[in-house]
Amino acid sequence: MADEFDVEYIRGDDREARILVRGLTPAFANGLRRAMIADVPTLSIDTLRVVENSSVMFDEMIGLRLGLVPLTTPDDFEYGDTVTLSLDVEGPDTAYSGDLESSDPDVNPADEDVPIIQLNENPSGENQRIELEAEAVLDDGKSHAKQSGGVAVGYRHLRKVSVVGDRGEFDEEETNILRGVIETEDGELVPTDEFDHDLTERYPGKELEVEDVPGAFVFHVETDGSMTVEELVLRGIDSIESRADELQEKVAV
Amino acid sequence: MELRVIEKTEEELRIEVAGEGHTFMNVLKGTLLENDDVAAATYDVNPEQSGGQTEPILSITTEGGADPLDVLEDAAGDVSRKTDELRSAFKAASA
Amino acid sequence: MMIPVRCFSCGKVIGEHWEEFEDRARDGDEDPAAVLDDLGVDRHCCRRMMVSHRDLVDVVSPYQ
Repeated sequence: MADEFDVEYIRGDDREARILVRGLTPAFANGLRRAMIADVPTLSIDTLRVVENSSVMFDEMIGLRLGLVPLTTPDDFEYGDTVTLSLDVEGPDTAYSGDLESSDPDVNPADEDVPIIQLNENPSGENQRIELEAEAVLDDGKSHAKQSGGVAVGYRHLRKVSVVGDRGEFDEEETNILRGVIETEDGELVPTDEFDHDLTERYPGKELEVEDVPGAFVFHVETDGSMTVEELVLRGIDSIESRADELQEKVAV
Repeated sequence: MELRVIEKTEEELRIEVAGEGHTFMNVLKGTLLENDDVAAATYDVNPEQSGGQTEPILSITTEGGADPLDVLEDAAGDVSRKTDELRSAFKAASA
Repeated sequence: MMIPVRCFSCGKVIGEHWEEFEDRARDGDEDPAAVLDDLGVDRHCCRRMMVSHRDLVDVVSPYQ
């Protein structure tokens, strides 16, 4: 087939990346984006068994906060699988996400320093204390935003910027704002933040032509830490593929 | 994914694809339209107001005597092949 | 009360940066914008979470 995919990492690390993909149709690019947001499952705390909570927050508030803490999610879990974590902190102290003790060595809070609740001394002189067991469950972003591994996942067209001449001698110098990634005439890829998103910074006094490059999409992929950017993309692709295979199988019967 | 054929003739097909949403249906529709035997392809994810029908319905019309079910099967295979290629492209780029 | 765990709008985890932001920009004399840039809190939506937050646990504590 004529599909020649070409993938290039423009910049990025494990948590956040800009990735140029050539050869995609708009439908496919959007399918991949949606799959990364809503169809890639992650583990999140969903139920609590509270043994003691004398903090200033209700159990439900603690539950919400714990649910939002991203947990590292290996790929050998099935929907509905659970992992138990426990938290036991006595004041005066702050309970952090890093204080959660997991029953599975592969499942841990992705960030250790998220404050959950500050524990003080009560007016009666007792220390506030929190002790609970939490059940993390594997589910996807359709059930709750906390189960979504992607944060602000999106894409823009790659734009080609070419110089078509000099700016007229008496024309106003106006800013020419563009966000995303541009491709110069030499085929160099430049993220727009390198010139403050203003084309007149990079090409002063030039008249420019800006056009979309067909089929070239620059994805911005950021994860909450439950998996790396690469894993998120690959699991998104897997999710679409598994459904295509299922459809093919069922139609064939 | 549960399939239910609603209407089927020589060159037309209306099929319910339960459990899917825009994510997959739009990819599938886009791929169907790349096929020269397909005269028209569309899908409709009905809102809840539409008398209880809330699952997407895919409609395909073919030309040149192709069976719409075969066309659908091919399109699913095409999507699968594309994801496969895309995966290897991503793996090659990050290696 | 406590700093929210995630940004309300985009979902980025911002809670982990609060204490450093408080030390450097609220209690310290650094420029809040520079501290946020340094912490990697880039988007408007995440920045407002930090800039507009007040810790109230110590205020509420005596009434428990």
